Amino acid sequence: MSQNRWLATGNFFTSYKQEQRTFFTHLDRTIFTCFLVILFGWPLVFEISNKYMLVLDNILIAIVAVMGLNLLLGFAGLISIGHAAFVGIGAYTVASVCQVIGENHVIVTHFWPVLIVVAGIMGAIFGAFVGLPALRLKHLYLAIATLSFQMIFEWFIQFMSFFNQGQTIYVGRAHWFTGQVGRNDHYLFWYYIILTIVVVLGFGVRNLLKTKYGRCLVAVRDNDRAADAMGMNPGLTKVYAFALAGFFAGVAGALHAYLYRGVGFDSFTLHHSVAYLAMAIVGGLGTLNGIFWGPVAIKYLDLQVEQFSELAGHYLTYAPNVATALKPLSFGLVIVLFLMYEPRGIANWWRIAKSYTKLWPFRY
Amino acid sequence: MAHLRVSDVTLSFGGLKALSHVDMAIEPGLITSIIGPNGAGKTSMLNCISGFYHPTKGKILYKDKDLTHASPHQVSTMGIARAFQNLELFSGLSVLDNLLLARHQNLTYSFFQAAIFYGKASRIEAENRAAVEDVIDFMELEPVRKHMVGSLSYGFQKKVEVARALTMDPEILLLDEPMAGMNIQEKEDIVRFVMDIQKERNITVVLVEHDLGVVMDISDRIYVLDFGQVIGSGTPEEVANNPKVIEAYIGED
Repeated sequence: MSQNRWLATGNFFTSYKQEQRTFFTHLDRTIFTCFLVILFGWPLVFEISNKYMLVLDNILIAIVAVMGLNLLLGFAGLISIGHAAFVGIGAYTVASVCQVIGENHVIVTHFWPVLIVVAGIMGAIFGAFVGLPALRLKHLYLAIATLSFQMIFEWFIQFMSFFNQGQTIYVGRAHWFTGQVGRNDHYLFWYYIILTIVVVLGFGVRNLLKTKYGRCLVAVRDNDRAADAMGMNPGLTKVYAFALAGFFAGVAGALHAYLYRGVGFDSFTLHHSVAYLAMAIVGGLGTLNGIFWGPVAIKYLDLQVEQFSELAGHYLTYAPNVATALKPLSFGLVIVLFLMYEPRGIANWWRIAKSYTKLWPFRY
Repeated sequence: MAHLRVSDVTLSFGGLKALSHVDMAIEPGLITSIIGPNGAGKTSMLNCISGFYHPTKGKILYKDKDLTHASPHQVSTMGIARAFQNLELFSGLSVLDNLLLARHQNLTYSFFQAAIFYGKASRIEAENRAAVEDVIDFMELEPVRKHMVGSLSYGFQKKVEVARALTMDPEILLLDEPMAGMNIQEKEDIVRFVMDIQKERNITVVLVEHDLGVVMDISDRIYVLDFGQVIGSGTPEEVANNPKVIEAYIGED
């Protein structure tokens, strides 16, 4: 590679290893590092209320969950309408541990990283199991199969006394090296933890997509006959895709359990599954940056509509239902509009914006 | 000594016999062609060999290994690669990724090594990339290396299809009508590639083709199928003078 590694201009690769890089120029790397520094550093400078911190935490958790869903739906082309149930599996893994050994047991409060990984593995196991119908079913039929898992999950939780029949199961406060994380630092603490997990998993996904474990997903999506002829087992690949999605969902679920310090069944309903789907679609299926755009966009929309409906409820006192109906209405409208006008999601805007600015300040 | 032996293979779908009592011996290092009118069972034969169909009766042996009930990915790991008739490419991926996918079995790193992508995974990827570039060079695909396969012209897609099978480093290459729907120039290109594949890379080629001119020119052995039965086999001259073959192609007088 030539001397100046700051700009892409005039650079060329002299080995295949150079082409594997995530960041091709120093400029890319620097921009990304600055971005990360800002993400990690801003809470030290600004202070925001716990309410908004919770929104940020929720966005990050949704990003973890959508990472799995995007791999499954966008890259492997397998529809899942039961993603919230996988998230629930992760959360209820933590909850079960709390039920058995007590919510303030040292394992729950001190060894939470282990529990998060265990929740991810549980999600992967259930994912692989639910993925088994994918060996035979495709498209809508698979969607129905995953939907049935969602229903079974909800039913199961609601009727098992072990799971408190869906009522909240409490999870103890986590400990850090400095001791127990207090009430005021709780959301900030989890912001850092989840952000770290998002960054690590994001790089993991980026790397996977450069290798056979990522390519085989796309191969199965595009043409599973040819994938078979190329020496990969399409059935196994589909189950693997589900397991992968389940892992991310499980991690998201465990984080959700710790963040809310409790697990209730109403955070993992069909409605949430659809919301995850919407995030994946709005973000951009089959793209890496879409994973991050989708949750941010949908959660931001939620926040705005909430404020707007408060305002509307203030003026439209005779029709309070208008305000409550605004949220699902706008949510549905956004999905429909995206499917109609930008099925490739926000990631496509990003791509267009990048190609416009590539030559700046020159015109061609 | 035959490389690949198809003995007494019968394939039936319900009452329809796509293949009946087919015997074939594919010799190493030669170009063997399978010809026949439409619906003669040529593609069914390839599907049987590559594992997409399993013969109802009979056996397929490759170097003493039984392929009769092997699935496609097992067959391909044994060194039999296949190019499809109706472009079965991964259209959402670049040419490079399509070919890298064909190296799937050569990529021996584990999942966690892949997720970290440091050391082994990175090294093996680079090595296999070199192997892929070798094929790209061979098939003259350099200008479209990074293009989406779906956006390429038909002729290029056909070339990618052949290249992808070739990337698997097979011992036997099954080509299903690589020249269908091409003009004279493109056909000449592909013929050149097929001959180079055999001569330079020492790969046994099994060719299913409709263009009799091409088949007669480049084949070492020809099998003629009609209604699922082998009606003639041998060198091109033998087949051209076989009265049964003439009857099947031109009809009785």
